[in-house]
Amino acid sequence: MDTTWYLVLSALLFAVGAGGVLVRRNPLVILLCLELMLNSANLALLAFGRNLGNADAQVFAMIVMVVAACEVVVGLGLIVAMYRRRVPLDVDENRGLRG
Amino acid sequence: MLSWIVFIPVVVGLIGFLLPARVVGWWALLGSLVSLGLAIALVAGFDAAGGALQDVVDRSWIPQLGVRYQLGVDGLSLFLVLLTSVLWAATVLWSALQHPDRPRNYFFMLGLAQTATLGAFLAQDLLLFVLFFDLMLIPFYFLIGQWGTGDRIRATIKMIIYTLIGSLLMLVAAIATAVLSADAVGQVTFSIETLRQFPLPAGSQYWIFAFFSLAFLIKMPAFLVHGWIVDAYKACPLPVLALLSGVLSKVAAYGFLRIVMPVLPDAAIHFQDVLLIIALASILYGSAMAFTHPDIRLIAAYSSVAQMGFITLGIFSLSSTGGDGSVIQMVNHGLVIAPVFLIVAIIAERSGTEDIREMGGMARHAPVLAALFIIVTMALLAIPGSANFVGEYFILQGVFETKVAIAVVASVGIALAAFYALRMYQQTMHDREAAAGVSREIAFREAIVLVPLVACIVALALYPGLITSRGTDAVDRSLAAVSTDASPPPEALAEGGWTGYGPPLETAEAPR
Amino acid sequence: MRTGGCADEAEPGQRAAGSFGDAGVSVTTWGWLVLAFPLAGTVLIGLLFRVLPAKAAGAIGTLAIAAAFACSIGALVAMLGHPADERAFADTLYDYAGAAGVPFDLGIYVDQLSVFMAVVVSGVSMLIHLYSYAYMGSDAGYRRFFSYMNFFVFSMLLLVLAGNYLLLIVGWAFVGFASYALISFWYRRETATRAGMEAFVINVVGDIGLVLAAILLIKEIGAIDFGSVFERAPDAFTTNEWTIVAICLLLLVGAFAKSAQIPLHTWLPDAMEGPTPVSALIHAATMVTAGVYLIARSYPLFDLAPTAADVAAFIGLATLLMAATIALVVTDLKRIIAYSTISQIGYMVVGVSIGAYSAGLFHLMTHAFFKALLFMAAGSVIAAMAAIQDIDRMRGFRRAMPFTSATLICGALALAGFPGTSGFFSKDEILTFAAERGGMYWIFAIGGYLGAILTAVYAFRIVFRVVYGEPCREAEELEGGHLAHAEPANPATGEAEDTAVGFPGPEHHIAEREWPMKVAMAVLAFGALFGGLIQIPGVTDVLESFLEPVFAASPIASAVHVSTTDAYVGMLVGGLCSLLGIGAAFYLYMVAPGATLRLRDRFPGLHRFLVNRWYFDELIDAVVYRPVVACGRFAYATFERVVVDGLTRGASDGVSGLGAVVKTAQSGFVRFYALLVIAGLAGLGLYFLLAAS
Repeated sequence: MDTTWYLVLSALLFAVGAGGVLVRRNPLVILLCLELMLNSANLALLAFGRNLGNADAQVFAMIVMVVAACEVVVGLGLIVAMYRRRVPLDVDENRGLRG
Repeated sequence: MLSWIVFIPVVVGLIGFLLPARVVGWWALLGSLVSLGLAIALVAGFDAAGGALQDVVDRSWIPQLGVRYQLGVDGLSLFLVLLTSVLWAATVLWSALQHPDRPRNYFFMLGLAQTATLGAFLAQDLLLFVLFFDLMLIPFYFLIGQWGTGDRIRATIKMIIYTLIGSLLMLVAAIATAVLSADAVGQVTFSIETLRQFPLPAGSQYWIFAFFSLAFLIKMPAFLVHGWIVDAYKACPLPVLALLSGVLSKVAAYGFLRIVMPVLPDAAIHFQDVLLIIALASILYGSAMAFTHPDIRLIAAYSSVAQMGFITLGIFSLSSTGGDGSVIQMVNHGLVIAPVFLIVAIIAERSGTEDIREMGGMARHAPVLAALFIIVTMALLAIPGSANFVGEYFILQGVFETKVAIAVVASVGIALAAFYALRMYQQTMHDREAAAGVSREIAFREAIVLVPLVACIVALALYPGLITSRGTDAVDRSLAAVSTDASPPPEALAEGGWTGYGPPLETAEAPR
Repeated sequence: MRTGGCADEAEPGQRAAGSFGDAGVSVTTWGWLVLAFPLAGTVLIGLLFRVLPAKAAGAIGTLAIAAAFACSIGALVAMLGHPADERAFADTLYDYAGAAGVPFDLGIYVDQLSVFMAVVVSGVSMLIHLYSYAYMGSDAGYRRFFSYMNFFVFSMLLLVLAGNYLLLIVGWAFVGFASYALISFWYRRETATRAGMEAFVINVVGDIGLVLAAILLIKEIGAIDFGSVFERAPDAFTTNEWTIVAICLLLLVGAFAKSAQIPLHTWLPDAMEGPTPVSALIHAATMVTAGVYLIARSYPLFDLAPTAADVAAFIGLATLLMAATIALVVTDLKRIIAYSTISQIGYMVVGVSIGAYSAGLFHLMTHAFFKALLFMAAGSVIAAMAAIQDIDRMRGFRRAMPFTSATLICGALALAGFPGTSGFFSKDEILTFAAERGGMYWIFAIGGYLGAILTAVYAFRIVFRVVYGEPCREAEELEGGHLAHAEPANPATGEAEDTAVGFPGPEHHIAEREWPMKVAMAVLAFGALFGGLIQIPGVTDVLESFLEPVFAASPIASAVHVSTTDAYVGMLVGGLCSLLGIGAAFYLYMVAPGATLRLRDRFPGLHRFLVNRWYFDELIDAVVYRPVVACGRFAYATFERVVVDGLTRGASDGVSGLGAVVKTAQSGFVRFYALLVIAGLAGLGLYFLLAAS
């Protein structure tokens, strides 16, 4: 199969993820969409790796997955903490960093 | 040796965090006395001849950037180091007896400030100098911001922003100097000694000079860019103010002699008139402000502007006589203005105000205080016979040799100084007692700080040659590129034979 | 500070002082000792002021000055052991502040002139200290007073013994400081502190003149010690070259400020706020004559700048006449004598400026005697009046205070130049020299004789109004044995005095009851009457032959020689002037007591002009003080707020403003940030795509 299709899929996934990050206000969904974007990148990496016959891409993908796992741990932890403190689960409401 | 001198204060300050709050003041005093002892040893072991750097420390520090850890002392910085140590010891003693809040922080900040100041005086690497120069700001920011009075937050922010502008320009100028001269040198280096051997082309010197000068003039402060002192001096705790005015301003004047003159000689010659005019304006404007302002603190502050004007005048006379005058005057002024601020602290405490119009008659029950104050006042107005007079005289002599008109106008500043200094003394000490004030004799805890400082003033008045004889060669060296007469004076300028204390003069012709 | 002098005495390379060991103590050692004693007195009294009993401070002070006087005599005797033209000795203690191009040594220069000055200064000071020992007896600041007085004497001796111009300036400024401290001695009086400040600031103006002169000297000659300067000056300058004229004029600024000559004289009458012994010592006998000393000392320079010397002479003449006219109308006893001092210094300045050096110095000496005496007598009278100084209130003290009256008359006779008294010989010597020099200098002779008439009038105005006439209330009480007391009040303003500090004390001391005052006044009266006998033309000529070698190099002094006949003609004229003036005073104040009032009514404008002291105070106020203060006010009220603070605020506001702009981007919307990131990425990708295609 041509590498192009993988890349098209990856681009679509990325666009879906990015759109989700931009339009959704629930931090949980935003986190999901972020994962989607990361994995789209993984897909692109692997596709290129296979096309070039290079195994380095798989190493990169592994690292990205580890990072993603870490991120989920921290992110979910924060969201749970927010929920417990009855902070509204809406990123537009939480604007404490406004300058 | 020099590294010890520089870093003992901050180390002492750090150790102070581990000690009980009661004793931390005395611990800091011990530290400052040790560094004072080291400074005295430095002066004692100093070799006056030649004007070269001594006790040099030279280590690689950031090799990628060509920054070296270079310290060294010569006749320019020798007595400034001693002055720093003396004034810090006095301030620490004064503060230890006053028991400030949060003593650990306070004394750590004092120690850090001393380290930064001494580092700036001893650094022989341009970037190291800039680093120490900027480091000085941090402890003073906290000292004014936390222990100050009145509208201290606004004052500190104003001070920091204003002086930081200068500092950043200086950083740019320092980097530019090193980078632009890298081709000639063969590598990027910040060593002042190396840079002076490879002067930049005149065009680059001009703007670099402008940046350096702006930084130094703001710090000094000089006319037109002295705006920050009003708020900062009003807010500053008085013992810290003694340091701010007594030592920090000298770092700026010292910078001119240490960096600008050797490294940027063409620019110094080119801009001589501009700087002389600024200095002259500082003298006249500072004096005029000092004798109209009703706030005693600001009278002293503006007198400082005027005195720094004299020092700048001497440096930019570009003659070795004027340079000698500036070197001794830096020490003198620091040694005089610090007791002035301490006396202001005493007076302000007794009269409950800092408005000079509401004071008076303080001498009545305080003859010792009055006597100390009159000595300091006389030194401040540079009465002949004081070391300050020697400084001002040399400065005027140096300026006179090239710019007669400026010297004559500057001498007006001496008369104005007599007026404002005496006004400050008379309105506080003489006349009827003010309604609110109390005339109380100087207390032991005040006297133990003031008396040694006044003794230093008197001692220096008896033998100002202590400084001039050690400074003169270094000044010649610093001014070698800009001055026409920095070489040793012709022998005719030495003492004539007629009075019987010099070798007889072979030719009776006067040098013209 | 200079007490260690004797140890360094045997400096190698001394020209003369080291060359004789057999005469015992050398001249310069005596010189250092002269300085050491008063300084030791100052320091001792100053440091021990809490423990010393009051009278002990006075005794220490007086003895220290007596020792200085003895050492001056010692120097004089040691000097007389040398041949007449080898009597100049220099010695240096250490290099005070030598640096590039400025030789600054702590050295003294002892020659006939400085020994003469040292003897006069320390001698008169000793007597005035003795007088003060009793006169200041009940003052709360007794110890402080003697500490200051000793410091003054030290400074004055430093001034006259200094070996170079810079050290002279040091002494010069120190006497200025001592004068300030003593004028504002009663520091609770606002008039006194203000007068002190005025005196100090005007003296600093003079200091600046001297400093600039010294700078020019170093620049042009490269030396600052008297020996080298005078040796090299004739080669370095041509006559009346602008530099040497400038140097001399700058020296004159210093001399005029110190010696109260026009236009820098206004401080001296105000300086009378100080205690009377201070007026006698500093503001009559010694300090104010420093300008005369300076001109005489720098005579080789003035010989090269005749223009400057003529300027000095004319100013001296103008001052002489102006002050004499003011002295005719002022009613404050001390201020009359103060204006008389200004006028007499005018004579001396004329003398040393036209080349009559030894005559000018002779007048300096006799003036020190009779003027100190007049002030002492005035102090005694003021004490008897319970601190009232207005001569309108005084009358008829001759029976109540016979001794004071007698000495007052002695002083007035000498001041008026009554034939045979000291003032007669010294004044005439100056004026005959002027006449002998001829040409333009006749003006000085004529003006001087005119001044002599005025002098005699105002001198005897004091005598006739204070000593003679019907006794006033205080004099009557005193005849009954009771010394007047009054509520303490400031004599200048009349406001009530604070009696704790800064007040002469509740008791008054008059010469009739205090032996130290009597002794001091008797000695000075003797000097005032007979001091002139050392210098009778053609008979004794002691002083002139002693000082002659100093001024031997002067072309004027050697060219003009007053013959004995001419001298006697001059003395005849001077004696007639004096008698004329005394006679006029006798007529005005004794024969026709209302005459002065009628004169005043006839010439109200003139009277107002004189009473207001020629409006000099107002002039200085308008020309100098007000503009300077106005500049300061402008700087304070407008410039500082608008320009300087604007600059500071501009800088700090600029930085904060920049921050505010950047701050608005920080909206806090996470999704907005994300949009920015993605838009940025997209933009970047687009850019590369476009760049690649």
